[in-house]
Amino acid sequence: MLGKLMKYEWKATWKFMCLANLMILIMTILADITVKLDFFSYQRDNMLQFIAMMVMMTYVLSMFAMVIGVAIFLIYRFYTSTYSDQGYLLHTLPVDKHHIIIAKVLVSALWIIMCEFVMYFSVIVLVAANGELFETLADSMDTIISITISDTASVKGFAVVMSLIAFLFSLFAKLLKVTACISLGQLSANHKLLFSVLYYFGIYIVQKIFSVIYLVFAAAFNRDYYWSEWYGWESMLVSGIIYSVVFYLITWYVMDKKLNLE
Amino acid sequence: MAPIVQCMGLTKTYGRKIALNQIHLNLERSRIIGLLGPNGSGKTTLIKIMNGLLRPTAGDVLINGQRPGIDTKFRISYLPERTYLNPGMKVIEVVQYFQDFYPDFRMDRAYDMLSRLQIQPNERLKNLSKGTKEKVQLILVMSRDADLYILDEPIAGVDPASRDYILHTIVSNYNRNASILLSTHLISDVENILDEVVFIKYGCIVLQAGAEQIRQNEHKSVDRFFREVFAC
Repeated sequence: MLGKLMKYEWKATWKFMCLANLMILIMTILADITVKLDFFSYQRDNMLQFIAMMVMMTYVLSMFAMVIGVAIFLIYRFYTSTYSDQGYLLHTLPVDKHHIIIAKVLVSALWIIMCEFVMYFSVIVLVAANGELFETLADSMDTIISITISDTASVKGFAVVMSLIAFLFSLFAKLLKVTACISLGQLSANHKLLFSVLYYFGIYIVQKIFSVIYLVFAAAFNRDYYWSEWYGWESMLVSGIIYSVVFYLITWYVMDKKLNLE
Repeated sequence: MAPIVQCMGLTKTYGRKIALNQIHLNLERSRIIGLLGPNGSGKTTLIKIMNGLLRPTAGDVLINGQRPGIDTKFRISYLPERTYLNPGMKVIEVVQYFQDFYPDFRMDRAYDMLSRLQIQPNERLKNLSKGTKEKVQLILVMSRDADLYILDEPIAGVDPASRDYILHTIVSNYNRNASILLSTHLISDVENILDEVVFIKYGCIVLQAGAEQIRQNEHKSVDRFFREVFAC
């Protein structure tokens, strides 16, 4: 049933997500043309400069719109399909609650990864349009990688793979934090959405407190460590796994044991 | 054979408010049972607990001898009192959705009923009227070969002419070995199809009896008797 749940989750979200990504790609093409044709040059007339400025501004705004729009869309999708009227259908399907959570989180994660790829691709295309800037950035990236990760090739490769895994768990933790907060908000008799937001900020503060405690202990016991190591993939992976498990269990517990559809 | 539904001391409270109070109820198989009561009497709460949408505060409910869960959801076909389908989906897509998740779903039966009502499969649900959406939901629910059909206010939101169609659809399409639990406060419309009635008031079962038994013993219709029992 997990495959079927994922199929319908994908079907319910693909239109919006594809439109959002398409918007970024179109804006990237327009911005790329603007940079390549050198519309910003002082030799161009005012109208061309104005158009170039508007295109670049729209490009930047579309990036922000995509990030915020995708976040709101995925949160809204989870809420409406799980705890509003559509929840009556979802929760009366003969499927395991674990499958419901996994399907929603996996499909959301896939979309977010896809959006991030499109955004990185877009920025690289624009930077590449300006040859000088591209070379400078490439050099900087190489320097950053050689400082933060060991010079040994095998260790470098291992760190890259582990960083990607850590990124995945970090993403799962963020998504599951949202599902946990929305689920916890359903426990209140009134103002369910308001309580979901309050839970989110409450959990955010608790997470920050844990981070500070971790840093204090790390500094106390490992005085020779660099700051970069404390913020490296190891801590990201451990915190990602712990938070993913905790938020997953909260979501599952509310959905399975405390479901309270109005 | 054990009853299809067994409620044992079922209680549900919302804060201090008692929605269901120590309900003991057995529903037999192959019966059409009316769950009758005024608004706020606890009908929907009871139905939601049977479907696993709410957890009881105390007591237990068994469907086919099992607590509400995946196995009971395979056997119950539930029509809630609200529109629960994604409005962005087409009729053909929701039919496929039911086909994918319910092994007892009969697609041919669904399309037969849809064509009789001249509902286009490629129409999006958001473009349908409220009454037509309710008919689509009823068609989906009645196209299953379930052991128990739970229909929460299936005729409340539709015009009197459509009520006859809906009741006809219910009676002519359900699995004959199954039971139907039909919740409503529009008794006169459903009285003729009921084998049994359960009166619920302030979260308590005040009567469970055969419809014919009420008519013979009380010398009045179930509707008339209901009005007397629930007179304000």
